[in-house]
Amino acid sequence: MSTRDEILDNLRKNVRETYDMPDLGFKKRIFEDPVKAFIETTTTTAGAKLMEIKPNDDINEKIHEAYPDAKIISSNVPGIKADRNPDTVAEAQDLDGTDVGVIMGGVACAENGCIWIEQTMKEKAICFISECLIVIVSKKNIVSNMHEAYEHIQFNEKYNFGTFISGPSKTADIEQSLVYGAQAARGLTVFLTE
Amino acid sequence: MSTKHTIAAEKFLQNSEKVTRHDQTFWSVRVKRDAQSQELPEWEELREAASQIKKHTITHLAEYLEKFEKNATKNGAIVHWAKDADEYNEIVMDILHKHQVKKVVKSKSMLTEECHLNDHLIKHGIDVVETDLGERILQMMHLAPSHIVMPAIHITREQVGRCFEDYKISPEVGNYDPTYLTRCARYHLRDNFMTADCGMTGGNFGIAETGDIVVCTNEGNADMSTSIPKLHIVSMGLEKLIPDYKAMGVFHRLLARCGTGQSTTVYTSHFRGPRPGGEMHIILVDNGRSKILGNEEHWQTLKCMRCGACMNTCPVYRRTGGYSYTYFIPGPIGINLGMLKDPDENYHNLPACSLCCSCDNVCPAKVDLSSQIYRWRQGLDGMGHADPMKKFMSKGMQVLFESPGLYTTALKFAPIANHLPKFITEIKLNGWAQGREMPVFAKQSFHELWKKGKVKA
Amino acid sequence: MGFYTKKNMKIGLFIPCYVDALYPQVGVATYKLLKSLGLDVDYPEKQTCCGQPMGNAGFQNMADELVENYDKLFKDFDYVVAPSASCAAYVKLFHPNIVNHECKAAQKTMDVVEFLHDVLQIKSLPSKFPHKVSIHNSCHGVRELHLSSPSELNIPRFSKIKDLLQLVEGITILEPERVDECCGFGGMFSIEEPAVSVRMGTDKLNRHLATGAEYITGPDSSCLMHMQAIAKHQNYPIQFIHVVEILAAGL
Repeated sequence: MSTRDEILDNLRKNVRETYDMPDLGFKKRIFEDPVKAFIETTTTTAGAKLMEIKPNDDINEKIHEAYPDAKIISSNVPGIKADRNPDTVAEAQDLDGTDVGVIMGGVACAENGCIWIEQTMKEKAICFISECLIVIVSKKNIVSNMHEAYEHIQFNEKYNFGTFISGPSKTADIEQSLVYGAQAARGLTVFLTE
Repeated sequence: MSTKHTIAAEKFLQNSEKVTRHDQTFWSVRVKRDAQSQELPEWEELREAASQIKKHTITHLAEYLEKFEKNATKNGAIVHWAKDADEYNEIVMDILHKHQVKKVVKSKSMLTEECHLNDHLIKHGIDVVETDLGERILQMMHLAPSHIVMPAIHITREQVGRCFEDYKISPEVGNYDPTYLTRCARYHLRDNFMTADCGMTGGNFGIAETGDIVVCTNEGNADMSTSIPKLHIVSMGLEKLIPDYKAMGVFHRLLARCGTGQSTTVYTSHFRGPRPGGEMHIILVDNGRSKILGNEEHWQTLKCMRCGACMNTCPVYRRTGGYSYTYFIPGPIGINLGMLKDPDENYHNLPACSLCCSCDNVCPAKVDLSSQIYRWRQGLDGMGHADPMKKFMSKGMQVLFESPGLYTTALKFAPIANHLPKFITEIKLNGWAQGREMPVFAKQSFHELWKKGKVKA
Repeated sequence: MGFYTKKNMKIGLFIPCYVDALYPQVGVATYKLLKSLGLDVDYPEKQTCCGQPMGNAGFQNMADELVENYDKLFKDFDYVVAPSASCAAYVKLFHPNIVNHECKAAQKTMDVVEFLHDVLQIKSLPSKFPHKVSIHNSCHGVRELHLSSPSELNIPRFSKIKDLLQLVEGITILEPERVDECCGFGGMFSIEEPAVSVRMGTDKLNRHLATGAEYITGPDSSCLMHMQAIAKHQNYPIQFIHVVEILAAGL
């Protein structure tokens, strides 16, 4: 008998009583103004910065405004003046040294600042290897809690990866001292569009 | 009456200030958890839902595993099954060999600790680099983790700084600022991410309906490990499976709140399949879990999502530290899992509990931790591990309490003990007297007062 | 159970072994208080212990005769009242498992705080206790008997102990930080892991002292005994009193 069959067999044999899936219809906390709540959460507990982007804003100017010292910009988002493109680099390693990576966000969650990032580029490393990240989020995509968020996540079939990102990477592993910029982005700015 | 835990705990407690710091550190995480839980009116409903979802999934685990395997395979992942630690280690080595892997970057996985994977890989000449900052520090210092979520909290910044200097990754000798040290680790680990051949992660959750593996981190190290090397190996215990995204919503909202007192970890990554030009392997590990399912008194430990909340609230863990326990997982869940894994090794941890029941109330999945500890204690005698002094005292009490006549006579003479000199009461054998005065027996017990008609309205 | 007026209820008094031996005044206060409320109270003399010390040590099987004796002794009372939260909890929650049958007496067993608050629902007391007291929320009282809302749970805050003490004239009620953290007694735990136990007790004592209270009070004499032993050893200037003694003060 293969290990697989042995394991499945044991699991079936060893069960005594079974239990049903519970009803998950209980009331969940909703914000009256999820956009306001999202802005609050993102800029406080998540430790990110946030800039509101108007329809007529020049996004490349805004990137420069957010990160004036940035020399290498990476992005595959149309309209972004990028030095490197995660679709066309030969290897993920080639994205190292990116000062600012610019990526698109999907659904965003007010209760915790999580933004869904669907992988839409060959090298997802851009989301993690960039020193700083700019994530473009539309106000229309903001929901109150994770139950709602999970109803809206999307996966590009070619890449089959997605992640919720809430603020820049962090750690408190040394004496519980909070430090931003552990292994991934040191800073994150949300570009909030209409 | 002491076990290995008692002896280790006593040593740890000698440094009173260290204990205060350790206790305060983990209590503050408990406080953060409390604050998070108070923000959600539906908090207790979430816990009940989590408990029920796990009970449902675990008791239908075979079906869900088959579903998961089907969907993960459809996504392009390669699913393996390991019945025990040895088979698991072999499967990993096999994959690494096939791909001529020299260096592996790893994000945190308690399962790999359980199976002693690192030792096995190192023995076979693989360079294993832990990428969670706490785990990497411990790896460099050749120390074991002291907590399952904050493994190196007990290490001081000076110790970290000196360690980094020894490894030549800290150019500013004598600089022990945590931000600076974290930067040193960042550059050091970045080098390793760039040159690794394989990224290994654990799995916080596996989603049966879609074949997702979900990995939650604050540092982004699981994502760095899997965005650069093209080979991804996931190691996951069978019990980590949940049915669907509806369930994931419940668990996501509980996990970080309970584990670190945050509303979320920075990264919640859903891995479905390999990267372009890469491979993704998912190893489903049993290692005793299917057997635990059949254990009527202890199967609910399978609900555990390894958040660490029980340790943070445990007054004994906070004052004795992870190294006092004989199992690599400490605290209430560790006491129970240790007994399931190897009772002869780990019965030493059973006294490390005052049965305060706080752990039961913080567990997001409502594992009946304290009741299980109580039940393990009942079974100790049958295993041959009952402490003889405890057994003797309990027998003595049984004899005394079963005979009201003997009992009331004993009460009459008990006040004599009030006059025992200190050199008798303060012997080392008398555990009570280490730091406490002896209780004073009343001249007349309640029984006597009643008999003498002295108890009046 | 049908409808009983106070005058019809037959109360059986269970005085736990260590209260019997060390703090009989707690038993006396309980009796006095219940009688003063017009109840018919009796004390079956053949009682000894609830079995918790052996149970928590891992030898609950040694308590089976104790459990049967308890059941026989108390089964004809309407309520069995004990001035000890952990003993009442042990009887209620553990006795049925030890003997594998329904235990009538266990079902009717209550801690005195529970009984006064939930059954008698007393709204006034003639007692006076013009002192500052710090409430010790014993673990089994909180988490097994629900005498107060456990600090871990997101449920409406309540405290039956506070409710009762507030009826006492002149009293100032305080609570320590880490309001229901364990004091470290835990039965055999106190002598099996003495170093941790004493550290836990000392920490708890210090938190009580920080409130500025003159007395530490609670529903469980075992916790009080443990902290008192440490306090005496360290010469801490604080006194200990069971809740029921305060409620009966001046009777």
